[in-house]
Amino acid sequence: MAFLEISHLKKGFGTGENHIEVLKDINLKVSQGEFCVLLGPSGSGKSTLLNIIGGIDQANSGDIHIHGERMADMNEKTLTLYRRKHLGYIFQMYNLIPNLTIRENIEVGAYLSEKPLDVDELLHTLGLYDHRKKLPNQLSGGQQQRTAIGRAIVKNPDILLCDEPTGALDYATSKEILKLIETVNQKYGNTIIMVTHNDAIQNMADRVVRLRDGHIRSNTLNAQKVPAEQLDW
Amino acid sequence: MKNPLRKRLPRELKSEFGKYFVIFFLMFATIGLVSGYLVAGNSMVAAYDETFEKYNIEDGNLRLAKKANKALIKELENNEITLYDNFYVDDAMENSTTLRIFANRTEVNTVCLMDGVMPTAYDEIGLDRMYAVNNNITIGDTLSDGTNTFRVTGLIALPDYSCLFQDNNDSMFDAQKFGVSIVTAESFARFSESDLTWSYSWKYDAPPADDAEANDMAEDLMKSIAAETELKSFVPRYQNQAIVFTGDDMEGDQVMVLVLLYIVMIIMAFVFGITTSNTILKEANVIGTLRASGYTKMELIRHYMTLPLLVSGVGAVLGNILGYTWMKDFCASLYYASYSLTTFHVLWNANAFLLTTIIPLIMMTVITFLVLTRELSLSPLKFLHKDFSRKKQRKAFPLSSRLPFFSRFRIRVILQNMGNYITIFIGILFANFLLFFGLLFPSVLAHYQADIEQNLLCNYQYILQIPLNAVNENKKLESALNMMLFQNEVETETEGAEKFSIRSLNTTYEGSRVEAITLYGVEPDSRYVSLSSAEGTVAASQAYADKYDLAPGDTITLKEAYEDTTYTFTITDIYPYDGALALFMPREDLNRVFDEDKNSFSGYLSNEEITDIDAEYISSIIDLEALTKISRQLTLSMGGMMNLVNGFAIIIFLVIVYLLSKILIEKNGQAISMTKILGYSNREISRLYIFSTTFMVLLSILISLPLEVASMKFLFKYMMTEMMTGWISFYLDPMILVEMVAMGLGSYAIVAFLEYRKIRRIPMDEALKNVE
Repeated sequence: MAFLEISHLKKGFGTGENHIEVLKDINLKVSQGEFCVLLGPSGSGKSTLLNIIGGIDQANSGDIHIHGERMADMNEKTLTLYRRKHLGYIFQMYNLIPNLTIRENIEVGAYLSEKPLDVDELLHTLGLYDHRKKLPNQLSGGQQQRTAIGRAIVKNPDILLCDEPTGALDYATSKEILKLIETVNQKYGNTIIMVTHNDAIQNMADRVVRLRDGHIRSNTLNAQKVPAEQLDW
Repeated sequence: MKNPLRKRLPRELKSEFGKYFVIFFLMFATIGLVSGYLVAGNSMVAAYDETFEKYNIEDGNLRLAKKANKALIKELENNEITLYDNFYVDDAMENSTTLRIFANRTEVNTVCLMDGVMPTAYDEIGLDRMYAVNNNITIGDTLSDGTNTFRVTGLIALPDYSCLFQDNNDSMFDAQKFGVSIVTAESFARFSESDLTWSYSWKYDAPPADDAEANDMAEDLMKSIAAETELKSFVPRYQNQAIVFTGDDMEGDQVMVLVLLYIVMIIMAFVFGITTSNTILKEANVIGTLRASGYTKMELIRHYMTLPLLVSGVGAVLGNILGYTWMKDFCASLYYASYSLTTFHVLWNANAFLLTTIIPLIMMTVITFLVLTRELSLSPLKFLHKDFSRKKQRKAFPLSSRLPFFSRFRIRVILQNMGNYITIFIGILFANFLLFFGLLFPSVLAHYQADIEQNLLCNYQYILQIPLNAVNENKKLESALNMMLFQNEVETETEGAEKFSIRSLNTTYEGSRVEAITLYGVEPDSRYVSLSSAEGTVAASQAYADKYDLAPGDTITLKEAYEDTTYTFTITDIYPYDGALALFMPREDLNRVFDEDKNSFSGYLSNEEITDIDAEYISSIIDLEALTKISRQLTLSMGGMMNLVNGFAIIIFLVIVYLLSKILIEKNGQAISMTKILGYSNREISRLYIFSTTFMVLLSILISLPLEVASMKFLFKYMMTEMMTGWISFYLDPMILVEMVAMGLGSYAIVAFLEYRKIRRIPMDEALKNVE
């Protein structure tokens, strides 16, 4: 069984005439340590799929297995535990805690893990060590997003879920963040699932899944990955 | 690893200092006030309870018409009691007060010396502390009755006069015009026997176990003594207001203060609920991320509960310290301003701690927990999307486009924030109720006093006293002559003086406190009491009718105070008189009811002072001063408390409106920021947002007024019927309502100014932040 296995997943919103099917029979397998990019236009269902994988949204039918555990069997408590043990989340907005320093914001993530990464070492990796005592509003958008990534990976999660992590950033900063995610993937071996509508990003991924109107239009493996450094858009 | 979120707490406290200070201050002030009141009250109640044994308080007292000889005393003591002389003189002093002077007591009702020394010389006197304070008399001062001059050597408290009731039938005590004092036995001997009141205290050989047994024993004793001699008065301890009123009243006060505490706690709970849910609203993104990362709901509940509860806890602890120190003394001084209490020692009061600290803290914890549990029950995704709706609003409320745009905008603001406005309304309702309470009482008392002055039956009611030598059974002939002489002596030439009969009977309502009803028998064509028809008229005074809901046609049963004889009357009329609980009827009717001669009379009603009747034939004079005792004393003893309540109410009003308006502006921060980007000026934005709140605050104040008036009327009647003898009618000075609206709007103006500043400070990029 694959590390992440999604079968016949369906999700809709609204009732009666207003019912909209956002995900229509999704089937997907992702291996451990794989970097998977979900691509698609707005409304294609990619964020919804990510949220269901993350256990913060529920499917109407179908199954998701992670590490052999079936998500449909989990109640709210076990889902929280599942997120705590296995998942790291990165959003387009950084959602840092404004009155905690950069180091403390990362500690918020470390607290959740029994074997967290070394915070200082991570701060060096993130290039934030010199800013560790600053508050989020003293940093640039890119630095704040790096902090958010630090918060997500410090607990060394099995899967890192990234929802448009560069959506609010300029070109240079976006590349910086993508390089960081690439480094994290290589250094810590986490499985990464990233939602984006930036086509260029697909080149750095192991697997590229294209969604449109709730369907998977294509699911391909990159024979040759391009380093983030060389991406251009 | 400790939860890193805890590091936020001091920073959160610093950045939201205003909000937490308000929470702290409310807890601190309320708990300080209430625990101070309870500690002082309980310590005093304990001291008061102790006085019964410590100062050997009598089991009752009786007044005889003349001094009892040894044989009579022996006879009376056969009823398993011991009698003690407790004679006194009611001395009219030059400062227009009445001072009751006793010889020093050594066996019963012994004296508590509060300051100075006991009198030892002939011209020395120990004066009741409160009487001294109210009349600005200090140790070393002298006071005189015109004939005798005394030098005050010490301030005392007499345990049988912890409450200065001159007469047990008085509605209220009078600590300004009446006091008690002690002189040496040698000094007391200066008074002639004709001036003395022959009062005896008794102690049972085997004291009763409770009030019920005391009641039975007292009834048996009274019958037995009444058979032996003529009783002028008979007051068992449990009926003696001068002894028991203090204890009853202190307990009543504590109930009131506790009610105040819990009203404030309910308001606090609202404030907590609202501020907590506002925090959740503000932190939605962070909460969503934390929940998505795996933080459990419980961890977040604990986190968001910590600071408010910590602040409340500190407020509670410091409030208790305040209560046990300064506030306790302040509250004790309020009691000492009303009662002649003996000295007290501060007692640790576990019950007060439970009521003022533990229960409110538990209440706050539970409320915060419930609010947080509810607020945090939304899914992480909803937090991330800032979607707090539990039910989706399907359609916008239709508003006519004929309404000006600004009006529609304001209505939308009101509709969108209805929950907050309802909370503002409830908060204002409670705060205004407190304010109303504080403003109403002094005004009611002032009105009562003015009303009594305006509607006096007459300026003087003289009650005559038949001399003892006119009713001596052993010397019938001499008595008859003396009676004739008396009847001749008590005729007056005073212009307008009118004969009347007066009697006092007690009420017989089941389960209610016994009250004395005065029965007036007046001339059919009386110039002072104009009854609608002559014979057969029984008119209840307005006060009596109001208190007991009497109407013409109702039948009432009254009884003799010290006998079982009952009398039944059918009310034919209500007489507009608030000065007393009274029945008015033709004099002949009253005399017939009591088997008196039809021409018999008890005294005179007169607008002029009667000067041609010897003072020895006058038992008492009821004048304006006597009738306004109740309002004067209540003004004195409740004045301080009412100012405290008013101040408190205004603070609570300010706090609630401030916190909730602040929340409202914060909640609409993004929309306000967006309107700024669109080009609206701060002034226009304030007109949109502050005006809506102003309108709702004004509306809340106006709607709350009739609700408060109705509930206050109910509460007032309850207090008057259940907690007091006598009657003060409810009176609402319309100016109070105006004052309340003005005070409310004045307080709100301060808040609006602060909010205007807040609106000005909202940056334009607020609208651009966190928008996905």
